[in-house]
Amino acid sequence: MSMMHASGVKDAMTATAVPPTASLMRWVIAATLPGIATMSYFFGLGVISNVLLAAAFGIALEAAVLRLRKRPIRVTLNDSSALLTGVLLGTSLPPASPWWLVGVGMIAAIVVAKQLYGGLGHNPFNPAMVGYALLLVSFPTYMTLWAPPQEMLPNDLWAQITGTLPTAQLDSLSGATPLDAFKHKGDAVLASEFWAANPLPNGTLTAWRWVALAWLVGGVVLLAKRIISWHIPIAMLGSLVLLDTLFYLSDPSHFASPLFHLLTGATLFGAFFIATDPVSAATSQRGKLIYGAGIGALVIIIRTFGGYPDAVAFAVLLMNLCVPLLDIYSVPRPTGQQKASPGKPGEQP
Amino acid sequence: MSNAFDFPGGIYPPERKQRSNQSALIETPLPRRVTLPLQQHSGQPAKPCVAQGNAVKVGSVIAKREGMVSSALHASISGTVSEVSTTQISIEGDGQDEWLRLPPLVWQNVEPHALLERLNESGIVGLGGAGFPTHIKARVVEQHTIHTLVINAAECEPYITADDLTLRHYANEVLEGAQIIAKLCGAQHIVIGIEDNKPEAIDALKQALTNSQPVPVELAVIATRYPSGGERQLIKKLLDLNVPSGGLPADVGVLCHNPGTLLAILHAVRDGQPLVSRVVTLTGEAITQPGNRWVRLGTSVRELLEQAGLNTPELHQVIQGGPMMGTPLLTLDTPVTKLTNCLIAATLEELPPPPAESPCIRCGECESVCPVALLPQQLHWYARAQDDAKLERYHLFDCIECGACSYVCPSHIPLVVDYREAKSRLRLQRIETAKAEHAKHRFEFRQARLAREEAEKQARKQARQAQQRRPSNTAATNSEKVDLRGLRIAHAAAKASVKKAEKTLARVAQEDPKQSLDDLEMQLATAQENLKAAELQLAQAREQQSNEESP
Repeated sequence: MSMMHASGVKDAMTATAVPPTASLMRWVIAATLPGIATMSYFFGLGVISNVLLAAAFGIALEAAVLRLRKRPIRVTLNDSSALLTGVLLGTSLPPASPWWLVGVGMIAAIVVAKQLYGGLGHNPFNPAMVGYALLLVSFPTYMTLWAPPQEMLPNDLWAQITGTLPTAQLDSLSGATPLDAFKHKGDAVLASEFWAANPLPNGTLTAWRWVALAWLVGGVVLLAKRIISWHIPIAMLGSLVLLDTLFYLSDPSHFASPLFHLLTGATLFGAFFIATDPVSAATSQRGKLIYGAGIGALVIIIRTFGGYPDAVAFAVLLMNLCVPLLDIYSVPRPTGQQKASPGKPGEQP
Repeated sequence: MSNAFDFPGGIYPPERKQRSNQSALIETPLPRRVTLPLQQHSGQPAKPCVAQGNAVKVGSVIAKREGMVSSALHASISGTVSEVSTTQISIEGDGQDEWLRLPPLVWQNVEPHALLERLNESGIVGLGGAGFPTHIKARVVEQHTIHTLVINAAECEPYITADDLTLRHYANEVLEGAQIIAKLCGAQHIVIGIEDNKPEAIDALKQALTNSQPVPVELAVIATRYPSGGERQLIKKLLDLNVPSGGLPADVGVLCHNPGTLLAILHAVRDGQPLVSRVVTLTGEAITQPGNRWVRLGTSVRELLEQAGLNTPELHQVIQGGPMMGTPLLTLDTPVTKLTNCLIAATLEELPPPPAESPCIRCGECESVCPVALLPQQLHWYARAQDDAKLERYHLFDCIECGACSYVCPSHIPLVVDYREAKSRLRLQRIETAKAEHAKHRFEFRQARLAREEAEKQARKQARQAQQRRPSNTAATNSEKVDLRGLRIAHAAAKASVKKAEKTLARVAQEDPKQSLDDLEMQLATAQENLKAAELQLAQAREQQSNEESP
């Protein structure tokens, strides 16, 4: 029995040790702040309303289910994991999403994806991405309403959030994201022609790039504080860049450049904040590398050949599915053992 | 000096060694009374050979070695035996400190068996904490060739400084002890593995190494990282050799000894002084005079800590051993034994209890620090689920229980506690299975013996008949067609199984001297009975055949 534990040690050495679970979660939440701030700067306070709404839903739903499950409520809420799920889903949604949309997403995330599987530590799928994927499939109209960069306080923000905006006005909000526009440029249009036509509202591309860099800042903080390990983000970004470079070099007139894929959409957000969710990711270091690389490859494949402009949610969920298999086949060889893997085919129960 | 080899994982807990390594090694006052448990080593407890009221001197044998893996026990003060129970012997001191020493030996001139006998009668065991009897360890050369002796002076656990201080004061003696062991095991090379956080001990060793050494000694200073003092980890780090799973360092030609043990060996050989005292680190925030002491075995922990200025109201717990692998003492009225290398009198603030456990979030931090490259987190799931097949497959028994995983776990899961429970449950199962197997083997042996006796009876009968028949020259035996070929095959198979049983027995005895061998002996005897029966039958059949052909 070890009488020493990293968080109970008051010496200076603790700076290098991993903080306890609850503060891990809070660190991740803190690291989303640069991203959220930058998004709000470009896309208005609707981003913040999303996050606040989703976080509130997260806490309320988690408390409700814990009560039904007769589990301790305060101790569990204190781990901040429901709050984090809310923040992550909130930032993924189009700014100023109606309250019910956020609510449905959070029900899928907290109640179905997390608590029904047994709560923190037992969910096979990333809760925020389950919520996002459900909304994307069920309410495509609302999920693609990503307004172009605008004032901090849009005129009809309140009407949007309460869902009382007339349907006719919805269309005026919609502005294609860069990924969306590029995806639907059509085969006949060459990439160079597409960009020459200035297809996006003013400042859109710049806004997305700044947001992506803000997520990168948060991610670097998490890496520096050892909240996340480097394996998943590096493997994911590496495989994404590698695969897209191959496509891009094979036909630059039709495929987008690796830089475009890196700096638009949810790539960096996903690499540092979504794919790194330890619960639903592979566990061994080798497994994490495979897991991350799989996500990166799937993102490019779905963005390029699939039906959706962005693909982080689906890529993460698909790789979540592979985790049990990865865990079996990525076992390291213990010191002194001749063989590496305990996973022999045909012997699995 | 840098080393290219390394073991995986490892952690950097606060060292807290300054508290006990600032003052010189001193002797504690002679205790008035000592309590000596009969089990201060791995293996069988020793068997008392004194009675209540007997007068003893320091070094008198009070309990003898019992069985192969066991160790003798000596009086650590002079006085009168006041109590002999099934678990311990108490001695009331007379304050005289009269010694009874064995004749000194000049180790360069005596035969190895005399040295071995000296280690045996001096009750020397490994003083690093495991307490394996040293004479048994030295006999490993009977089965293995040893090329390197490793002096494990890494002392990687926080707080403990016993080896550090031993080396500062007795570097020459430790090296001489190492030369004795090198002579015994035939090692051609000695390596000292020491962490770089002990500069004074390193200087003392460098100084000592200027004297000529019969077997060359290499001083390897390694970076401080827990658990580099683990036997397997140190061997990997110093020599880049992997001790096989379930095996011993001797399997890769290495023997590992702790500096304290080597010093005790020298004292036993050169001075004829049996193991009656050891160096103990007294440390922790709850004592005012921390440091290292020579302590007579059997001294009460309470007495020892009080002499070191114990602040009882501040005391939260006393840990025997280090903070990573040691055990909290339930009572202070317990004696110092051959295994006590460190006593930490900790305040609540110093070593607070871990916060409540929260669910595993599969972060994998435990995997990145595991020095054996196991998956602590998977083991945790399977241990809680009691999935024994999976536990074995994920190599639970390779876990060295260093506690690095528990140390880093952000959810404060007591992982090592889980593993220990699972291990003892599995061990129990193995014992049950072994018992059932043993019963089966006993039955098989009986069958084989009966078959052999039957075959002997047959042979005698046939011999009698043959004698009677030979003159009359009848061919009555023709009615039975002799299956010579089948018998020959059976004979060969029986021979092979005897060889196999012998081999298994030899291998197991080498690999794990702790294991009881009577089951394997039984299997060998069974195979031998079978072979005898087959031989008799074959001889009988041959005779029969020659009888048929000759007429």
